[in-house]
Amino acid sequence: MKLFSKKPHQLEPLAKQLRLDILNMVYAAHSGHLGGSLSNLDIIISLYYSDIFNFDRDHFVLSAGHTCLSHYAVLASLGKFPKKLLNTYTEINSIIQGHESTDVPGVEFSSGALGQGLSFAAGLALGDKDHHTICLTSDGEHDEGQIWEAIMFANKYHLGNLINIVDCNKFQIDGSTADIMPTDELAAKYLRFGWTVTSVNGHNYHDLHKAIVKAKNSSIYPACIIAHTTLAKGISFMEKDYHYHDIKDMSEDIYLKAKHELDR
Amino acid sequence: MNSTDNLHSIRQAFSDTLIDLAGENLNLYVVSADLKSSLSLSKFASKFRGRFIECGVAENNAAGIAAGLAKSGKTVFLATYACFSPGINWNTIKQSICYNNLPVKIIGSHGGLASADLGATHQMLEDIALMRSLPNMDVFAPADALETAKIIHTVSHSPKPAYIRLVRPSTPNFTNSRSSFTIGHSQILQTGSKITVLGYGPILNSALSLKNKNLEIINCSSIKPLDSKTILSSIKKTSRCIIIEDHQKNGGLGEAVASLILTHNLKSKFIHLAVDDQFGRSAKNYFDLYDLHCIGQKELIRTIKNIL
Repeated sequence: MKLFSKKPHQLEPLAKQLRLDILNMVYAAHSGHLGGSLSNLDIIISLYYSDIFNFDRDHFVLSAGHTCLSHYAVLASLGKFPKKLLNTYTEINSIIQGHESTDVPGVEFSSGALGQGLSFAAGLALGDKDHHTICLTSDGEHDEGQIWEAIMFANKYHLGNLINIVDCNKFQIDGSTADIMPTDELAAKYLRFGWTVTSVNGHNYHDLHKAIVKAKNSSIYPACIIAHTTLAKGISFMEKDYHYHDIKDMSEDIYLKAKHELDR
Repeated sequence: MNSTDNLHSIRQAFSDTLIDLAGENLNLYVVSADLKSSLSLSKFASKFRGRFIECGVAENNAAGIAAGLAKSGKTVFLATYACFSPGINWNTIKQSICYNNLPVKIIGSHGGLASADLGATHQMLEDIALMRSLPNMDVFAPADALETAKIIHTVSHSPKPAYIRLVRPSTPNFTNSRSSFTIGHSQILQTGSKITVLGYGPILNSALSLKNKNLEIINCSSIKPLDSKTILSSIKKTSRCIIIEDHQKNGGLGEAVASLILTHNLKSKFIHLAVDDQFGRSAKNYFDLYDLHCIGQKELIRTIKNIL
């Protein structure tokens, strides 16, 4: 009996390749926000590699702009721009900058300062009611008061076409969210603020797909998906270690060790 | 100083113009932060209910909502007090509006010491500095109700983000009703050959009402982009320059003009009448505050005498 074995999801080989792309970007550039980009990658893949939304019409807003590596890797994999541009991450003449930028084909909102994306997404959802707006926030950025202003606003204006996916990796730049500023019971908080809420494993494509479809079908209430994820997912010695929120000058040893794990 | 019969509300001119524009432009939205009645927007809100978006006392979210609406193709006016927007939400304006280059029109009402009785917290003396430092942002400040209508009309068609500073009190109309407003252009309110007086907003009337023929008075209502051509040519002629503004010296129009003068190697006497690194305070009459901070008509008369 194979109670715990599951067939790998068809998207897992892609995710593996994109994790490598992200690692390579950070290694080549000598810096980059690896932890959050690896925790939210599966969420972004779930959104773009399904037929739930059409991002030529629907909108995607990455609020935590430092995690742009995963969004860029996904956009490149879809042919939005040549994949070789990923190798120019943070170079002076590159469109692939250190934070999410509309210079990159497929990006609708430049971000970097935390807490602003959900307001923008709510405004966009209000202005374009014929389509869906999906915002991806992080749990850490829920420290920002503006997020809560936007949560109240979306409830007031019944933005049923707005979805906020929270990448809950439970860490931020200086430590765990529990230490820096507890953001526990986020699901209950969203519920009390008038949103529909689903909690999922943010690395499980089946669960993510179901949650996203359910959120899309919420036509009166704004929908929140609490996606429980692992910081730096896929590289065991970096996982859940906040020092890998961002990395400067990754040594060759560390790079090869991480690459070896992702290559397996 | 003026008979109340001849005073006109700049806020009312703003609101009336918006109502006219909204009748033609069905995509025109107003985003508010719980100061609808203070900005004379109650009529707009009841007439165009679906296009009046109330965010509550939450200026950062309001700026983000405005940016998102603009992204969806709406013409958006974000309207509240200047001390809160950009006073509180400057980074949201920087990132969500300017960096994303979205054509939100930010109305900062109650600018300057002119919000007399409200005191230092509500007397916004730093808005021009904050906004002219932002890439992509245009900055305007109408001199009177007549010019307010023209500026609101013009910016509603502009593809760029813009900040428009309004003041609270009703003030005299002293600009030419027949002249048009063009972004990047100033208006010579009075020609003269001895002293160039530059400024923006109703405070300029303190120079014009002197009826001193030595003064060339230029209304710099387009603070950014600034009409460097007209300003430089006047200073070249007069070699004397007084800048008067209801704003901090730091980051104000005076510094922009000083930079122009130095960059173009002009020789000119230069006096900047502005609030000198201080907070305001409450007063019954804003002209008393102008005198207290040495930006009133008495100080202007003294300065003119000294500079000649």
